[in-house]
Amino acid sequence: MSRIVITGVGSISAAGRSAAETVDAALEGRSAIAPIESFDVSAWPRRHGGEIKDYNAAQLAGDRKVLKLIRRSDVLGLFAANQAIAEAGFARHRETLDEEGNVAFSEGTACYVGSGGGAFNVNYEYFPLMAQSGEDMKAFGHDLASTVNPMWLLRALPNNVLCHVGIRHGIKGPNGCITNHTTSGMLAVIESAQSIRDGEATRAVAAGHDAPVEPQQVLYYHRCGLMAQDAIRPFDASRDGSLLGEGAAALILETEASARERDADILGEYLGGGDASEGLGLLALSADGEGAARAIRAALDDAGITTGDVGMIVAHGNGTPQSDASEAAALRSVFGTAMPPVTAFKWVTGHPLAASGILDVTLGLEAARRGVAPGIATLETLDAACKGLRASRDTQPTTSDIVLTLCRGFGGTNAAVIVRAIR
Amino acid sequence: MKRRVAITGLGAVTPAGNDVASMWARLLEGRSCGAPITNFDASGFSTRIAAEVRDADALPMPEDRKLAKFASRSHRFALVAAEQAMRDAGIAPTPQDRMRWGCVVGTGMMTVAYDELSSLQRSAATQGELDPSRMLDDAASNDPLAFCRSQSTAGVSLLLRRFGIGGYASSVHTACASGGQALGTALRVIRRGAADRVLAGGFDSMISPVGLSGFCLLSAVSPDNDMPERASRPFDVTRNGFLLGEGAGFVVLEEWESAVARGAKIYAELAGDGNSLSSYRITDSHPSGDGPIQAMRRALADAGATPEDVDYLNAHGTSTPMNDKSEAAASAVVFGDRVGEVSVSSTKSVMGHLIAAAGAVEGVVCALSIHHSLLPVNANLRELDPECAHLDIVRDVPRERKVRVALSNSLGFGGSNSCLAFRHPEETATLIARERHASGARA
Repeated sequence: MSRIVITGVGSISAAGRSAAETVDAALEGRSAIAPIESFDVSAWPRRHGGEIKDYNAAQLAGDRKVLKLIRRSDVLGLFAANQAIAEAGFARHRETLDEEGNVAFSEGTACYVGSGGGAFNVNYEYFPLMAQSGEDMKAFGHDLASTVNPMWLLRALPNNVLCHVGIRHGIKGPNGCITNHTTSGMLAVIESAQSIRDGEATRAVAAGHDAPVEPQQVLYYHRCGLMAQDAIRPFDASRDGSLLGEGAAALILETEASARERDADILGEYLGGGDASEGLGLLALSADGEGAARAIRAALDDAGITTGDVGMIVAHGNGTPQSDASEAAALRSVFGTAMPPVTAFKWVTGHPLAASGILDVTLGLEAARRGVAPGIATLETLDAACKGLRASRDTQPTTSDIVLTLCRGFGGTNAAVIVRAIR
Repeated sequence: MKRRVAITGLGAVTPAGNDVASMWARLLEGRSCGAPITNFDASGFSTRIAAEVRDADALPMPEDRKLAKFASRSHRFALVAAEQAMRDAGIAPTPQDRMRWGCVVGTGMMTVAYDELSSLQRSAATQGELDPSRMLDDAASNDPLAFCRSQSTAGVSLLLRRFGIGGYASSVHTACASGGQALGTALRVIRRGAADRVLAGGFDSMISPVGLSGFCLLSAVSPDNDMPERASRPFDVTRNGFLLGEGAGFVVLEEWESAVARGAKIYAELAGDGNSLSSYRITDSHPSGDGPIQAMRRALADAGATPEDVDYLNAHGTSTPMNDKSEAAASAVVFGDRVGEVSVSSTKSVMGHLIAAAGAVEGVVCALSIHHSLLPVNANLRELDPECAHLDIVRDVPRERKVRVALSNSLGFGGSNSCLAFRHPEETATLIARERHASGARA
């Protein structure tokens, strides 16, 4: 089986517009979490999030015409996918191909997207109509066409990034859009790699995007007891919850043969992935993190490596008391005392839900290419429940170029991906 | 050798019936379920008709009362259809093998209930624009249960918990292709050994004010309010849009050898998954069939089958002018000279378009067609569109035919195309015997 290599990376978060910028922020101990500016939360019990700075939709999407058909989360997804595809040099390569070669390129390129974002506020475009019609549903129906944007349903589609990446870059291969909350982006990476392993595609665009910093989402997370006061403190004794962040990321995976043939720069290698669920309910988690442990073991098996080969762990580290404690238990049960350095990035970016797993993979890859596991600046005192975890305030050297990234979501879903950085 | 996958359990909650047997009877009868909408007052809408699940309140719910509180209308459809499929398969996860069970679902996009949206609007958007500072006083906006029901993973979470499934779990959404992509993903998961058994399906309900609005705004639904039972007429020259349906379909998929070993009833082999992107327009495939063509060819190749093996196509057949034309063109290209020998029907003619559930329910229909050697009717076809004249459509009465391979198309907004290939279990058994013989001869 040919190796699967990584030839392009796209990454955007509140802390930066590339994986390098966000990793720089982590290394400098700078969190991008701040009081929310996009809506008035001055009277709210929780007021913080990780918002994209200087948001300019047309500039980020790279295309003004598409804006009437997509939403903020999609804009971020397109930005990340475009960045990764540009780095991989698809367009340059396609110029060298004849028509037949271009058709083969289109049909041999897969695209899997993990999608989230704006699940609530997309419906608010109906508020003017609802305010006008009141309880009168007949008036609602009657005035619909004159009040609501006719493109509303298209803007609301969860699979918009998949659609528009396909149209813009001429991609026609195997595809999917995964709407599985936090593990969505991570599963997009796994399914992309699998489509290459199965010989259905030669290369794949994997992407994940989310823009959860919207009023209803912030409020619900708070009411569920999941929101921190003002900072994410992964594994810290005083951690008090998570905070939402906007973000997107993308990876170009391709067979090593294809990358070599077109002389592409190789940034890393995809080694394997795994997935496991606990099935205790939407919000319930097992205290011992058994689902997370199984996902990690499945990824190690899939990659054909052992715990000793892993040089850095990018933890989910979302900062909620239960999740971090069970994650630490899972990592202890798999790695025991031979644990590699552990880092996490949500304290920098906020939690970008559907994008979080794939965003963490891009950040872990960037950090591993620099040979470091960035310190977690908000981690002051490692919680007793997280003991044995090699997480630190200080930046640690990686012990190998292999990075394991863990991602956990609602419904007790867990996924892990292992990549190797190539410098 | 590829691991093969058996379909051993079926479940359905649809406008045509709230279980598999009643749905199948209605599909054979070919009587459309289109009727005036009763879910809400749709009298002011340009389209006021749909195919609704009847007696939804009387659906038997699981005994775990806690689950019901977390379930919206479409989640209830999912729980009931999944329960039917698991019972039909006669197998359930045990504490020992639960990690080897997966669950993959196609979920709808309309996750926020209209009542909750309306409550928020009255509390915090009285002038039409949201004032976040007033959300703190709105009950629905502060209700964790409403939040749980609104999550894209709410459905899969309920199913994992209900059946004690502990392996690969995912929710997918590619609009109208969602259900097909869920079954296709499940097939791949079993093949690559990440699970041995998967509960797979789709569920959706968009017959709500906002859901129906989206399709009315795009003029995608038929406006034939005065003849709802005629509104869905795939491949008819006068077709003018789809009939919105709702419901859920589920299958239990098992690694073939283990299904055979336990003596399971095997409806069909889920033999191939073909998946492509049209990358043309958001709402349509190319009139040439580009996009669907690749999906159909990939499904056949993935199944190790050829166009000569196909006896039945369960068409996406939405009854929109463009879809049916593009799909007919794709069939002509894929089947070539043999196109007239492939029987075609769109069961959306009877039960409407179940959106994210469509591909899963139509997968159930393909399994039944193979099992019974009987093809359901494409209802309401009076005058075949000349551009579809090369298709052999199952008109008026169901057709008896042994189906070696059936294809099911699901073509979504956003350009995602799914084609699934199903094989008669006897054909599969023959292929396996031949493969064993060949490998024995080599040895």
